Amino acid sequence: MIEVKNVKKKFIKWNEKKQKTEFYANKGISLEAHDGEIVGILGPNGAGKTTLLRMIAGILNPTEGEIFFDKKNYQENEIEIKMNLAYLSGNTKLYDTLTTYELLYMCCEIYKMKKETIDQKIKEISKKLNLDSFLYQKIGQLSTGQTQRVNIARCFIHDPKYYVFDEATTGLDIISSQIILDFMKEEKKKGKTVLYSTHYMEEAENICDRVIMIHEGEVLLSGTPEEIKKNTKTTNLRDAFFALIGGEIDEK
Amino acid sequence: MKNNLWIILKKELRELFRDKKSLAMMLVIPIFIPCIILMMSFLFESQVNQDISEYNKVGFTYTLSDIEENLIERLDIEAYQGTEEEIKSLYDNGEIYVYVTKEENNYTIHSSSSEESMYAVTFMERFFDTYKNILQEKYLTNEGINASEVLNIINVTEEQEEEDFYFASYMQNYAFLFVVMAITVSATYPSTDTTAGEKERGTLETLLTFPIKSKDIILGKYLSVTLSSIITGVLSFILAIVTLMITKNMFSIYENSALVYSWQAIVLGLLIIIVYSFFISGLCIAIASKSKTFKEAQSALTPLTFISFFPGMIAFMISIPTNNLIAFIPFLNMTMIFTDITNGIYNILQIAILFLSSIIYIAIVLAIIIKQYDKEKVLF
Repeated sequence: MIEVKNVKKKFIKWNEKKQKTEFYANKGISLEAHDGEIVGILGPNGAGKTTLLRMIAGILNPTEGEIFFDKKNYQENEIEIKMNLAYLSGNTKLYDTLTTYELLYMCCEIYKMKKETIDQKIKEISKKLNLDSFLYQKIGQLSTGQTQRVNIARCFIHDPKYYVFDEATTGLDIISSQIILDFMKEEKKKGKTVLYSTHYMEEAENICDRVIMIHEGEVLLSGTPEEIKKNTKTTNLRDAFFALIGGEIDEK
Repeated sequence: MKNNLWIILKKELRELFRDKKSLAMMLVIPIFIPCIILMMSFLFESQVNQDISEYNKVGFTYTLSDIEENLIERLDIEAYQGTEEEIKSLYDNGEIYVYVTKEENNYTIHSSSSEESMYAVTFMERFFDTYKNILQEKYLTNEGINASEVLNIINVTEEQEEEDFYFASYMQNYAFLFVVMAITVSATYPSTDTTAGEKERGTLETLLTFPIKSKDIILGKYLSVTLSSIITGVLSFILAIVTLMITKNMFSIYENSALVYSWQAIVLGLLIIIVYSFFISGLCIAIASKSKTFKEAQSALTPLTFISFFPGMIAFMISIPTNNLIAFIPFLNMTMIFTDITNGIYNILQIAILFLSSIIYIAIVLAIIIKQYDKEKVLF
């Protein structure tokens, strides 16, 4: 289980007069994601989704608040938690000069897999995600869809317990997107915890067990898609979101 | 987590050796050193052995005396005579290099700042010195005075206690200064690529999601850049030594100079290259990590190339000898002691100060880069 408790994230930025100003991308967010659950983090661009997920993935440190993975504090158990975590975003880039095989081999080494099992593991994943045709090709020569498949392979090669997907389907064609969505469903069935942020409301409605709607760094509402629709007296999550923000989006 | 450090180092080296620009920086820069040494030697040689008798086209705007005519014949001067306008026109068209005008006993050599004209002036100075001597000798003889006694009233001879191999020492100093500069230039590209470049390409975020301590990530990067700098340094050093030894037999300006390197000098030289590579790689990474883009990092690192070169160059130009204080000053200590060693001067105290102070500087630079990578600021 992933628990986020009152997490705030402050950034410093410079205004047009070149004066230092502070702003909070997350203003005290709390959430829980249980085992065998896909939790959607929904909100428009600039809502604070990426910052929140980057903190959960350990790329950023919260300014305030704490994050727990199965009751273990992130800050105190960073390496142990990262051994069981996979993070994939729409912007995740891979090393162009490495081949798919070399990248996966490096990941296996990082996740401390036994040397004698690595080749077998890469073969299995390659077969499952259909990477065989470009396994020994440099990543820089692959198409966007092929690269994202390598990214998925990188994510689950160590069989993690927690997945953090940040707009992972953005910019992908429907086939590549479907591969990621099917992958999430499969992992959920295995009892894994999946956090998934998107601004495609329909996609979230189809795949998520629960959704958390955030706007301007704060949680607006959380619950199952059905509960949210019922509470906002709407028929879909898109309308629910607009009902919650009063129909106005102020993109900062 | 020693294993993680090795994994990162392997990844960095793979990227480094597969990147054409990094490879070019690492391996092509050393090739410039023999080219520079050969080119400079050739230029020095041609300047020193310049035959100024080639610049013998001289105009005279007055009627030459018999003595002058004899002298012109003896010195093989191609003399042009005419009115001032005619001679000036020849000079303006570049047909003669200088021309001489005369007013009573005052002669004026008209010249320009061009190289040919300056050589012709030297040539004509020799002409007038000889002419003056002949006239003085003739005058004294006519007056019944022993000209030889007056003109040679004192004799001055020069005896060199120690042979001064100006060009050999000049070329050697600069060759090893170029080695230091080559290491600096070679460190800037991979350090930019592995820090700001990785940030710009978005792969740093991926790396930070792995269960690897940031210390291992930055140390892996640091070691890969250092290794690339060492490769450049060692190649440059070997090529500099080999080229100097070859040019020694090719050019007369190096005649009788030592230009022989003992094993002691080579080993100490290699040690300095290694220490300098560790230092400069750390410094480059520390600066490049603070930049948001590849371009910004390259601009920030450009001054380092000059800093690595100019203090040493100025010290050579004004002939400052290495002292204990200089042995502490980064960059300057490397170039000065490196040159001393290759010149066969081994001051153990200064060498010890250089190594100890460098270890301290490397530790400071490492602490800075480890701290930088501990903060999320490294991503933005």
